[in-house]
Amino acid sequence: MQIWWDGNLSKHLLKFNVNDKDHALIVDSHERLLDVLRDRLGLKGAKEGCSTGDCGICAVLMNGKLVNSCLVLAIQARNKKITTIEALGTAEKPHPLQSAFVKWNACQCGFCIPAMILASKNLLDQNPSPTDEEIKSAISGILCRCTGYQKIVDAVRTAASEMRK
Amino acid sequence: MYVPSDLSDLLEYLNTNQTGVDLIANGSDLINRIQRREVTAKVIVDLSGLLEFSYVRKEGKTIKIGALTTIADLTSSPVIDSRHSVFCEVAAKFGGPSIKNVATVGGNICAASSSEDLLPVLLVLDATVRLKSKFGERLLRLDEFLKGKRMVDLKANEILVETMFQELDETSACAFEKVGMRNSLIIAFVSTAVYLKLDKKRGLVDDVRIAFNRVTGKIPERARRSEEAMHGKLLNMQLLEEMASALRGELRLSSDFRASEEYRSEVAGVLFKRAVARCYANLVGRELV
Amino acid sequence: MIDEQAAIENLAKSEKLLFVGKSIERADSLDKVLGKPIYTMDIVPENTLYLKVVRSTHAHALLRKIDLSRTRKVPGVVAVVTAKDIPGVNESTALLPDKTLFASDRVRFVGEPIAAVASYDPSVAEEAVDLAEVDYEPLPGIFSILDALKPDALKIHPGGNIAKHMKLRKGNIEEGFKQADVIVEDTYKSQFQEPVPLEPEAGFVIPEPDGSVTCVGSIQSPFHVQTGIAKILALRPEQVRVIQAATGGAFGPKSDEIPVDVLGMAALVAVKTRRPAALAYTREESMIGHTKRHPFVTTLKVGVKKSGKLMAWEATLLADTGAYASLGPLVVIRACFHATGPYVIPNVKTDAYCVYTNNTMAGSFRGFGGPQAHFAAESHMDVIAEKIGMDPLDLRLLNILRPGTLTATSQVVDEACGLEECVKKAVGESDWYRKREQFSKMKGTKRRGLGIAIMYHGNSLGPEGKDYATVHMQIERNGTVRLRTGLTEYGTGAPSGLIQIAAETMRLPIEYFKLDPADTDNCDDTGPTVASRTITIGVRATQMVAGNLQHNLEEDAATMLGSSANQIGAVNATFYVRTNPERFVSYHDVVERGYAQGVQFKLAETFTAPRCEYDHETSQGTTYLQYTYGAVTAEVEVDTETGRVEVLRMVTAYDVGKTINPLSLEGQIEGGTVQGLGYAIMEELIHKNGRVINPNLADYYIPTSLDMPEMKTIVVEYPGHLGPYGAKAIGEPPIVLPAPAIVNAIDNAIGVRLNEIPATPDRVLIGFKRMVDRKRGS
Repeated sequence: MQIWWDGNLSKHLLKFNVNDKDHALIVDSHERLLDVLRDRLGLKGAKEGCSTGDCGICAVLMNGKLVNSCLVLAIQARNKKITTIEALGTAEKPHPLQSAFVKWNACQCGFCIPAMILASKNLLDQNPSPTDEEIKSAISGILCRCTGYQKIVDAVRTAASEMRK
Repeated sequence: MYVPSDLSDLLEYLNTNQTGVDLIANGSDLINRIQRREVTAKVIVDLSGLLEFSYVRKEGKTIKIGALTTIADLTSSPVIDSRHSVFCEVAAKFGGPSIKNVATVGGNICAASSSEDLLPVLLVLDATVRLKSKFGERLLRLDEFLKGKRMVDLKANEILVETMFQELDETSACAFEKVGMRNSLIIAFVSTAVYLKLDKKRGLVDDVRIAFNRVTGKIPERARRSEEAMHGKLLNMQLLEEMASALRGELRLSSDFRASEEYRSEVAGVLFKRAVARCYANLVGRELV
Repeated sequence: MIDEQAAIENLAKSEKLLFVGKSIERADSLDKVLGKPIYTMDIVPENTLYLKVVRSTHAHALLRKIDLSRTRKVPGVVAVVTAKDIPGVNESTALLPDKTLFASDRVRFVGEPIAAVASYDPSVAEEAVDLAEVDYEPLPGIFSILDALKPDALKIHPGGNIAKHMKLRKGNIEEGFKQADVIVEDTYKSQFQEPVPLEPEAGFVIPEPDGSVTCVGSIQSPFHVQTGIAKILALRPEQVRVIQAATGGAFGPKSDEIPVDVLGMAALVAVKTRRPAALAYTREESMIGHTKRHPFVTTLKVGVKKSGKLMAWEATLLADTGAYASLGPLVVIRACFHATGPYVIPNVKTDAYCVYTNNTMAGSFRGFGGPQAHFAAESHMDVIAEKIGMDPLDLRLLNILRPGTLTATSQVVDEACGLEECVKKAVGESDWYRKREQFSKMKGTKRRGLGIAIMYHGNSLGPEGKDYATVHMQIERNGTVRLRTGLTEYGTGAPSGLIQIAAETMRLPIEYFKLDPADTDNCDDTGPTVASRTITIGVRATQMVAGNLQHNLEEDAATMLGSSANQIGAVNATFYVRTNPERFVSYHDVVERGYAQGVQFKLAETFTAPRCEYDHETSQGTTYLQYTYGAVTAEVEVDTETGRVEVLRMVTAYDVGKTINPLSLEGQIEGGTVQGLGYAIMEELIHKNGRVINPNLADYYIPTSLDMPEMKTIVVEYPGHLGPYGAKAIGEPPIVLPAPAIVNAIDNAIGVRLNEIPATPDRVLIGFKRMVDRKRGS
């Protein structure tokens, strides 16, 4: 499956599914999944905080697994299902996690929040009754500077309880 | 970029294009180097589609791990049972889920650096690596495969396909210890892995293997002189105290902005003692005295 | 002014408080949880040029030649700008005129901007930056405060290496020492703490057809940016529109010259090319290029009586402000005033110095001198206690500020002083005596300890500047009440406090209120959003304008109901006659009638805080309008074999005057506490010969969720006179005490006094080893 080059860069056809919608795009070999999501598909929820995979705020779900989208080359997302924050809920019908974060005033500057919510969703999909320690582990790869994490943990606990009903 | 359709396609390609090629499994290391514009390869070969190399299996007494197995998949595999919980110990301090979902065993091995905590564990398990090329395969001991920082004995037309080691049994145990600045997302000051085979009846050390990260130069290494010194000895805390001091002579300590030589020297000994003590406790069900 | 406020509040209080004191949901949360594109780099227009910056590779050098010919030739490069392209003044600064936008003849830190390259493709711009050829003539670099202060040291700036020397003189220090029985002297050191806002600096500029520019960015102080950009572009301020986009964390660096750097460079490109231009710092650039906390070296010499009474406190504080002063002089002023900690001391002599070096810049960062001053003072109090054989708690309680006593600046502490209650409650909640007793008996390699630290924090700008805020309010025809102000939201939740107060004053449901993003076109200069000015000064202005609007509405309602304004009550969008509640009219009807008659429900009010008067030679006088007080305890477990310190639990008690929003308040306290924990044990931005060697988040450690301690927040309310309902500043205080509390707890646990933070495992273990060796030796 060799594709044509252009110096160090080559272009590839990327077919993948994002938030339940199929896409086919031409991407550069060096383009990151984060860039494709933000710049090509206009999904700005995933953020760039450090470019080196150390802060986690670019995290999205790829085939149900939390990954740092700044460390995934776009082409490696081929044939995969990507879920970003934009898939979760709307203003009229927010996801229980989103409602819980609002209720707890867990968003301060908000920059880490999409990643925190996706990481929490990932946790609750696998473990509907997490302990606080398990919640903290699930978000341990995402840095937050504003909240000290407590209200985020409280929000996830509340959402988990809501979702079990 | 080149995306191989299967192993033979990959091996054919590597054989034909032996220069200017960089391999990526799930890419984290390479992407950082791309960002820093340190990549001069003409072609990047994306291995992530070769899912047949993501496995953890037991064949007889050998555990085999495919090179594309992620850390997350490794620790959730039923083959990695409580006896082999050392892998979970490494994973616990590895980073958050998003890192564990992407980092691969093969990627960690080939990165060949002292930030890779999986390496000391594989070294004390006397792991071997299987390398394949178009023309056949080689088996190398892991410590032979690791040649230096970011340098492995991998020929230009070869690919690492799996690593394997003998499973632990009721006389052998393995433990990992790490100290870093915080509780997650840490590059260690020092980390250590220990394998202990115990003559339970007489309380003697049948075999011990010790490996360190960050205090042995650029890549993790086995502390073989100390291992020798412990063979056949009666295992007790006093032996560990003596060994912890003696061990330091075998280490290549250095200071950096993270920690001083003196600190690493102290802590290497402490982690060694703790790891051995835990191996003992796991085997015997009692604290070591 | 005070009477008006009291009248509004009393009226509101006579009916139950509807919103103040309730955990109202913040209005900005929904967009954030939905991941809406609201941050600067989410809303960059199409066809925008992206900038990359050519930065100095030397810590101190003359610039002999800047050759950008190869840079310009890279295909895809659209513009290259240097100091020569500046139509106005080459200046981007916070306080002192010591810093340029682009260096043209001299650089003073590694990373200082020299030029910028713009392309539609950021990777082209990056490549082009590498081809810039700069001829440096290296000058000796100065990297420590002590070197900078040597008499023969090279002058980093023409005026010398001391940017500011602040003095405090109270009583007679020599007499004080004579009266003391014991003198305790020690030196304390603290590090560069990097703020790490999760969103690195970003901004873009759109050139408008009429010659004006529109700037959008991640900023705290839109009017400061407006003034700065206007100066650079030789435009009138009205020709520079600055809009704050949602800002992903700030903590200080985004309030002073750094956004002027970012938007200034973008503006030059925008104006030159007539195209929109954007600059987003990488994390590395952000950590090198923006301002961080000043490292301090503080020497304390304290004279105390055997009884524990503090008689004399002599402090010398040396702050490393890096290559340019930024707000360093003001940081040093605050540190000077707070250098004694919250205690009554008759004789005080403090000298605080803001010193230039060739390290990267230090400037505003949450706490603003308070953390450094309290780390030294509160560590020292424990040392004193041990020296005289007194319980550290008793020593503190003997000397703390109480109503009627004098601060170090001889300001009388008024009755709004909840310090003692904070201490007692923190001590009670942390089970102080029982646990310390229990911990002292521990054996084994893991030891626990409990430590305390207490503080005071002068509210608002005090001596740091003119303190005022203007808030505009307008009632739209559909009843929406729109607020506009230059005060910014960047995570604190304080602007939501404006809405709460407006709603309380007008007794209308919260949903009726909308706060527009800060936009210099729509409001008046409100000064910087720092130092908790929003909840103190901003909200007062809100109260005034809301109160006036409400008054107008009530008059209209009274007319409609055939009553008089003072008979009208309001609740839930309804006006009613108090003596006869069946007579009522809806708020909407009142508004509609007003509109029909051509009434403009549009008002603006400015609240200016009273000036602080004090002697600038001795710092004696009224330095702040009110104080926040706090006490924090930390329970730690120290692994004596690895030096790892686990902070298990922190009890944080603050006198906040009045809680406006309990959940938001807790969130601020918890966030500051964890930031303070990072400052205490793991954060250090390390320079080697001026070069930052860990400008990334792998090697600069901020606390993760697994490092979070159990946190218990206790709120105490002694209403002050400045803020609404007596509210006090709480944005900055929570970061001040964790470091001394944790260091004191470590001492309690293992008997090792660490005089330098961060208390890394290395420092703790080596300290413990030395102590054990000393004990064995003796």
